[in-house]
Amino acid sequence: MYAALHAVTQFYGSRLVFKGVSLRVEPGQVLLLAGPNGAGKSTLMRLLAGLLLPTQGTVSFGEALQHNRQALAYLGHQSFLYPELTALENLHFWNAWEGGKATRSMCEAVLERVNLLPFADEKVKGFSRGMAQRLTLARVLLQNPLLLLLDEPASGLDTQSSTMLHAEIAAAKQRGAAVVWISHHIAHDIALADAVALLEHKRLAFYGTPAEFATRSTAEPAGGAA
Amino acid sequence: MMHTPKNNALRTNYTPFCPWAGILALLGGVALAACQWLIFVYAPVEATLGLPQKIFYLHVPLAWWGMLSFFLTFVASALYLKHGTPRWDMLAESAAEAGLLLAGLALVAGSFWARASWGVWWIWDARLTTTLIMCFTYAGYLIIRRLDMPEMRRNKVAAVVGIVAFLDVPLVYISSRLWSFIHPPSVQLDSDMRLVMWLCVGACSFFWAGLVTLRFSLAATERTLNTLTAQQLAAQSAKE
Amino acid sequence: MMRSALTLFQKDIRLLLGRGSGLVQALLLGFLLIFLFSLSADMATPTTAKAAAAIFWMASAFCQVLIFNTLYGYEEGQGQRLGLLLGKTPPQAVWLGKGAAALVALLLVQALLLPAIAVFLRQGFVALWPQAILALVLANLGGVGLGSLLGALSQGQGAKESLLSIILFPLLLPLFLMGIFVFAAAFTGEHTQEVGAWLRLAAAFDGTFLGAAYLLFPYIYTAE
Repeated sequence: MYAALHAVTQFYGSRLVFKGVSLRVEPGQVLLLAGPNGAGKSTLMRLLAGLLLPTQGTVSFGEALQHNRQALAYLGHQSFLYPELTALENLHFWNAWEGGKATRSMCEAVLERVNLLPFADEKVKGFSRGMAQRLTLARVLLQNPLLLLLDEPASGLDTQSSTMLHAEIAAAKQRGAAVVWISHHIAHDIALADAVALLEHKRLAFYGTPAEFATRSTAEPAGGAA
Repeated sequence: MMHTPKNNALRTNYTPFCPWAGILALLGGVALAACQWLIFVYAPVEATLGLPQKIFYLHVPLAWWGMLSFFLTFVASALYLKHGTPRWDMLAESAAEAGLLLAGLALVAGSFWARASWGVWWIWDARLTTTLIMCFTYAGYLIIRRLDMPEMRRNKVAAVVGIVAFLDVPLVYISSRLWSFIHPPSVQLDSDMRLVMWLCVGACSFFWAGLVTLRFSLAATERTLNTLTAQQLAAQSAKE
Repeated sequence: MMRSALTLFQKDIRLLLGRGSGLVQALLLGFLLIFLFSLSADMATPTTAKAAAAIFWMASAFCQVLIFNTLYGYEEGQGQRLGLLLGKTPPQAVWLGKGAAALVALLLVQALLLPAIAVFLRQGFVALWPQAILALVLANLGGVGLGSLLGALSQGQGAKESLLSIILFPLLLPLFLMGIFVFAAAFTGEHTQEVGAWLRLAAAFDGTFLGAAYLLFPYIYTAE
């Protein structure tokens, strides 16, 4: 087990986000998080990232994640990028902040993977949304993490980059990393998933395999899940 | 409370008026009135300064309890950071407001005192300067409390300022002592004067405690009201 | 933690000195203040040493506020603050890195403000060089330690400059008085025997607030 939520109930101020959510993230597993807007997917992600403490219940991490500063990587709605720094400087800064020792060539290799190498020495403020998103992905990949938390990683990406994203997620899974993935294209992305969790009506409405999710979806279409 | 709502969700530990605040205010009123008699009838007129020296009996209790209030804010802020319980936060705010009021009044009284004794409205007396600087810092503290930021963040930020501000007290005091080489001569008090001063300080304690208690119950009411409003909104959005 | 603090320091210095106008703004404000105050003096009645020292420390305090707001402003906009909190790096690394960057920036600004004091206010060090430098170091250390703590509180707020000023300036009063006293003594060569007491006070201030800021910083920086 890399991470687990046990009977987590979360309030935002006095508003209930969800209650009684339990799930586990295993090594080599891709967990797809689905649910309509405002269902608390991003809140759940922030709980896993340790940016929030649960109001009730516990969030626990596996032994492998507890001592390794680089083991957990989070890609959220905000890019964390400094507009006045270049792509390379941004990568280098975040890597060094987390205690990494990435060299220039390692940073360049990651930029190559996200097709940004020609822009390595350009300031990020000139980047388009898609380029910034790819650079954010590069920041996550450079960490070589055990647990990837990807909150809508495909937003702003074109078809070619989406394919690259799928390949990277598959590669991460291949080397035994776990991925928690919030997606707005369930029908498209479910092929890569090992498990699906659906947050709806302030609770975990479904938690199971993609096959089970498909039969459930035909029986009672979940609003906004597709 | 005239109407007791049957709805369980609305049942909270709501107290419209803390009886202690009333009792303390009443005691304070009686005690301060008695002090007026002590000040003007019992205590002798001071030889060199004459009648203006009577300001002293008002100035000292105000300054004392103002400072003590700030100390309470400091303690409550530290406890809030440690435990995260809202009541420490509310106590810190209540004490800071009462402290600012009393310390501000002490400054006004001190200013009159300086005018009567030395012919100027302001002197760089170490105690007066410390009180002034604390007024500035705790006014800043109260501004932070009214900033538009998430409640938890605002409370924590305020608590940090509440702690840091009080740590500054001894340093401000020593520095203003070093700054002014000519210290205003301190007034020689005879035993009767000293007794009256301490009685005034004691009498003011009821008034101060009443003020803090009243402000605290107001903060508690406000908090209850906010919770109820949020619950109502949540219930409505659940129905929709 | 030290490595992360150093990383942040390097990044901030690069942004502050190389890109953007944060430091230039601070410097211009400092020069402007000194020039404006020089208008109150003329050939017959030059600015007194004490007034000149007070003007220097006031200009330096305003520069410090601008520097901290610029430094903490770098982590606004793209959620970089969350990024800094994400890993297992203690938040104090942010306090340390930002404080160190501000210290360097402040020393640079002051190195240019002192000649301006000499030109516009006709005051310069004639005595007590080591004590004046020690006073500068102690005042800056305490100011930067407390500034780095309180600079974080105005992050994401409107009217940051005035907010940080009203909280920070009264707290820094002991350091201001110390700086003014020691600099005035160094400008004139008078009242030199009290300088030691002032320097000890500044050291006590630094000890108190560097410790307090180190302990309290996580509460401010991590609060949501």
